[in-house]
Amino acid sequence: MHGYLAGLKLEARLIRAQPDSLIPLVTAPLFTIIFLAIVRESGRYDLQPDALMAPVLIALWWVALQHAGQIITHDRWQALLESIVAAPTSLASLLFGRVTTVMCLGLVSFLEVWAIGAVFFDVSLRFEHPLELVLILVCTAFATAGASLAFAALFVMTRNAYTFTNSAGFPLYLLSGVFVPVAVLPGWIHPVSSAIFMSWSADLLRASVRPAPIDQFWGRLGMVVLLGVISFVIGRFVLIYVLRRMRMTGELATA
Amino acid sequence: MEAVEVEEVTRVFEPRRRGSTRVVALDSVSLTIPTGEIHGLLGPNGAGKTTLVKILSTVLLPTSGRARVLGHDVVDETQAVRPLIGIVFGGERGLYWRLTGRQNLEYWGALYKLSSRQTKARARELLERVGLADKADQRVEEYSRGMKQRLHLARGLMGDGRVLFLDEPTTGMDPLAAREFRTLIGELRGEGRTILLATHDMAEAEAVCDRVTLIDRGKIIATESPRTLGHLLTRFQRIDVEGAPEAVLEEIRTMDGVTNVAAVDGAGVRIEVDAEGVTQLVLERLVAAGVTSVRTGLPSLEEVYVQLIGERGMEL
Repeated sequence: MHGYLAGLKLEARLIRAQPDSLIPLVTAPLFTIIFLAIVRESGRYDLQPDALMAPVLIALWWVALQHAGQIITHDRWQALLESIVAAPTSLASLLFGRVTTVMCLGLVSFLEVWAIGAVFFDVSLRFEHPLELVLILVCTAFATAGASLAFAALFVMTRNAYTFTNSAGFPLYLLSGVFVPVAVLPGWIHPVSSAIFMSWSADLLRASVRPAPIDQFWGRLGMVVLLGVISFVIGRFVLIYVLRRMRMTGELATA
Repeated sequence: MEAVEVEEVTRVFEPRRRGSTRVVALDSVSLTIPTGEIHGLLGPNGAGKTTLVKILSTVLLPTSGRARVLGHDVVDETQAVRPLIGIVFGGERGLYWRLTGRQNLEYWGALYKLSSRQTKARARELLERVGLADKADQRVEEYSRGMKQRLHLARGLMGDGRVLFLDEPTTGMDPLAAREFRTLIGELRGEGRTILLATHDMAEAEAVCDRVTLIDRGKIIATESPRTLGHLLTRFQRIDVEGAPEAVLEEIRTMDGVTNVAAVDGAGVRIEVDAEGVTQLVLERLVAAGVTSVRTGLPSLEEVYVQLIGERGMEL
């Protein structure tokens, strides 16, 4: 628990000290304007809630890939990783704490997007299923944290993770159906998408702002949690493997 | 119980890319450091000092051999070792530059599982101790190199480790700060801590260490007290003389075992020898010539170091 809380606090302090961490909070309103303009221009006012949900999911993906995913790599380049590993606290719990803070940052975009829609476009989200909506957001943040842990562990093994994170963003948005539902994509993509927790989250979020009852809510939410847990387990194992390998090769620090 | 036990530790870095070569960083190194000792690890760059410190700190695995800290194996019992040690790696990196000195220390306190109150109190005490109390709430990016180094030192002490590994801890410190560092080491000794100080600063090792291990190319050359190491090399004794006639000096220069006769500090001349018994012959010749201002001395640790390690020592 010490490690988790230490990570939580550290990341909050780092975000406050580094305003560039807040980029997703700048881009989310811009994406909101773009998506709302598109659906309005095409006369699809029924898709306005979808246009408001998409920037939230994009913000979560962004913080998972660009921010949380780089945590270990950054600490390694700053020669911090060795001292952290040599401390009694578990790196995984520390990392989970840091990722949690980052996810909270990502979730702030939901409030932002809601405010932008209401103030500038006179579109207000109708919270038809408020409890379900909160559960979906929390479970999505949890699953994104799991994915971040796996990304962080994997990226530290690569020589240039930035290339991957920069190019993987949009394919992931597409496969996750953050704006265009996976159902309208070619059939062969569906199995790939269903292995990505965000595709389940995106469908659930859209359903939660519509009046109709959410079909198979608990089962679909369970898939988000399950895929998140799988990401956590993979991340944990990769982290153990990576640390062991780095202790063997002497690569915990960069020259 | 010994604080540090190293038995036949070898560490080989295999080539990872085409063109790179296999490096034997440590070659069957054995070393024992009793509890409460301040032990210097002295050697040129690439000697294997940092590699040994990293293995003892549990962040690097040995290729073969065993190492224990306060009885715990550094490979199999990392969770037992880590709360017992404090580490200071040299260099400017290793801190969160965007955070303040105090925030950095508080983070490390949490990593050592201190309570919030303990962390704050210990951070305050250590900032005071390393002379950073008035800069505690300034971002680290605004610190000078020496201040960062002092913060590194404070960070290494946050966990209250019984065994401290200090790797080039005074790099970048000004002479005054380096002197304060030595005082701090003395205080830590008084608290019963064991310290392994990896350095290539001979004066520092001589000033603070109970024993010194000379290491080069992954092999231990000698482990002795700084004074004993000097005695080991009595054959490298030097003779400082004033007022010796030039003809006598010329005669001494040609004697077997005399390696150098050179003017020092203007008036004096230093005669260096490299064989047992030669000092006596030189003194006899000087006295016979009526020279009365003569002083013999043991070599400093620096001279021992250069003699033992040879020209590679000059690559520092």
